Amino acid sequence: MISATEVRKTINGNEILHGISFEVAAQTVLGIIGGSGSGKTTLLRCLNGLERIDGGTIECDGVRLEAALGDAAYRRRVKELRRKVGMVFQHLHLFPHLTALGNIIEAPVNVARRNRREAETHAHELLTAVGLARAAARYPESMSGGEQQRVAIARALAMRPNVLLFDEPTSALDPRRVAEMRTLLRQFTAAGHTLVVVSHSIGFLTGLADNLLYMEAGAAIEYGATAQLLNAPQDARTREFLQQAH
Amino acid sequence: MPRRVSCPSRLIVILLCVCWPVAAAHAQGELRWGADPSGGAPYVYADPAKPDRYIGYEQELVEALAQAMGRRAVFVPTDWETIVSSLQRGEFDVIVNGLEPTGDRARQILFSKPYYVFQLQLTVRQNESRINSLADCRTRMVGTLGNTAASRLLAQERIPFRAYADPVGAYRDLELQRIDAVLLDVPMEMFYARRNARFKPAGAPFQPGTYVVGLRQGDEKLKAQVDAAIDQIMRDGTLERILRKWNLWDDRQAALRAQLDAPPTAQAETFELTNATFNWPEAIARLSRAALVTVLLAFGAMVLAVVLGMPLALGQSKGPRWLQTVCTVYVEFFRGTPVLVQLLFLYFGLPRLGIVMPGWLTALIGLGLNYAAYESQVYRAALEALPRGQWEAAYSLGMSPALAFRRIILPQAFRIALPPMTNDFVSLFKDTSVAFAISVWELATAYRELANASGEFLLLGGIVSAFYLAMSLPMAHIARRLERRMQRRQIIEQTTVEAAI
Repeated sequence: MISATEVRKTINGNEILHGISFEVAAQTVLGIIGGSGSGKTTLLRCLNGLERIDGGTIECDGVRLEAALGDAAYRRRVKELRRKVGMVFQHLHLFPHLTALGNIIEAPVNVARRNRREAETHAHELLTAVGLARAAARYPESMSGGEQQRVAIARALAMRPNVLLFDEPTSALDPRRVAEMRTLLRQFTAAGHTLVVVSHSIGFLTGLADNLLYMEAGAAIEYGATAQLLNAPQDARTREFLQQAH
Repeated sequence: MPRRVSCPSRLIVILLCVCWPVAAAHAQGELRWGADPSGGAPYVYADPAKPDRYIGYEQELVEALAQAMGRRAVFVPTDWETIVSSLQRGEFDVIVNGLEPTGDRARQILFSKPYYVFQLQLTVRQNESRINSLADCRTRMVGTLGNTAASRLLAQERIPFRAYADPVGAYRDLELQRIDAVLLDVPMEMFYARRNARFKPAGAPFQPGTYVVGLRQGDEKLKAQVDAAIDQIMRDGTLERILRKWNLWDDRQAALRAQLDAPPTAQAETFELTNATFNWPEAIARLSRAALVTVLLAFGAMVLAVVLGMPLALGQSKGPRWLQTVCTVYVEFFRGTPVLVQLLFLYFGLPRLGIVMPGWLTALIGLGLNYAAYESQVYRAALEALPRGQWEAAYSLGMSPALAFRRIILPQAFRIALPPMTNDFVSLFKDTSVAFAISVWELATAYRELANASGEFLLLGGIVSAFYLAMSLPMAHIARRLERRMQRRQIIEQTTVEAAI
């Protein structure tokens, strides 16, 4: 479903990503771990075109981004890509002037040009799925962090993407809610979605991610099945990170 | 009981001690006379050859009067519109500025005996065929000097007129076809219009009146001295010599001199005094019309500013480098120079480039362009106050920049911008008063003219302030309600939902 090859990214003359490669099979979950400044959020932003890549290729659900493409062509590909990839930001970025329902139907109605009533019906289903059946008319301001996050997830799902990107989905949650969130995300793979989850919480990714990618200083250090990477890391740097994390 | 004198009051005492003798000296050896030298030829004006020196027939007249009185003439440049109140406040001792002894002025100041007989002259453009007399002007716009016998005649005859601060502006607007005719005293007409090939007189001079010296009420002693001095320079031929020099001597002046020895009753019959008095209902009607102009001006300018401010803000924050520079230059130019100067430039400067607009449109566009600079900064601040994440969230949902701006950014930015925009609108509302500089008849102009004509500065000031408040307070109220409704809408919907649960 997703295939990244030698992805490079330079910001202000500094190379932030030094050639990252990985693959994510359909209906699986890739967890990206690493310390702060390791480049994991930048990598995630490259996956839906918020950052333009300066080297390598990303292929995602049939859309191919290549560093060599001209600006206009790249923008066209990104536009196509965003129809297929949903993103949930670490800080959510809900639209404060719209209700939960308004946040969710905004893109289906104005971007995908769906019928408003149909979009609202779908939005209510999504809110029910994330456990916020009664919150449709509420504004983000009046919600708890966890509720806001579930609205953000519903908003991303409303465009029916095959791929969902999550940046630190547990940062706004208290420990009780972390397990709920894991169950919720697990359901999405069953429903046909492919997930990429950036998290500093190894505990959260255990039992969620099928594969893990460990990043350090903009480089992919180790990539493998979750159980293998956690239990028998091959690289000394991965071992050190895991020891400190525990 | 001994009392300490505080520092400020001690300062005042010292100032009084220093100033009193000076003021007293004025009363003895000097004759301080006030006149408006701006566009003031041939009365008194800056010598074109030596601009730091004032010349004019009245300047020479006052020199002669002062000499006859054994005093030294000291010229105090002042403003024609406020000349009576300046005299009352004591800035000078006499007005010598082609002052007509009108009935309303007679209640405020003393007049000397007349020293000159003037007539009014209607001037039109060379190619004008419709206007041959004042009677042809009922549906036309006539320019004149504000607060004069001519303006009183026009008001009395109910002829639409525009009052100018100086004859230069009136004749220039006639030339630019902003008005259809100019009615002014013959001395001004002679100096500013007669030699201009683009103008021609419409009919003969008419409506004779006199110029007198104005004095403060209660200054009877000085009045007697001035009257005696006028008699003297008439008798000894000094006045005739001065007037002939300025090409102003005619049979009427000779007749005026002949009356020196005639019985005093003849004088009132010979010369029709311009004594139109102040008409209150008319004044209120004119104030209401001026208020309407003010409202239209403010709303028109604000619409222009609000619309034009947005592309400016976007150009400045999101445009390519060259566009950013253009927008920044625009904003800094309009913020960094006084709006008064901008209006004068648009009104008097643009016609040189072939662009002629009526005064109200000039004021509307000038204020609109000026406030667009301010609105653009309000918008820019509002746009920059929104986190970048709002754009990114919109993009990540597949929105184009235009759609993201319209659906996500603009509604949020509008809420942030609304309070400062309201503020600007109220401020723009008051700034419409600068339009008086280009003879637009809005409230401030109306106040100045009517108050000068009647001397009712306090009463008219109260009425005009009430007009301004009656317009600006509802506006502030509406804006506050709009802001509150935007905030409350969220809370209400929240609580109803929570109540349902």
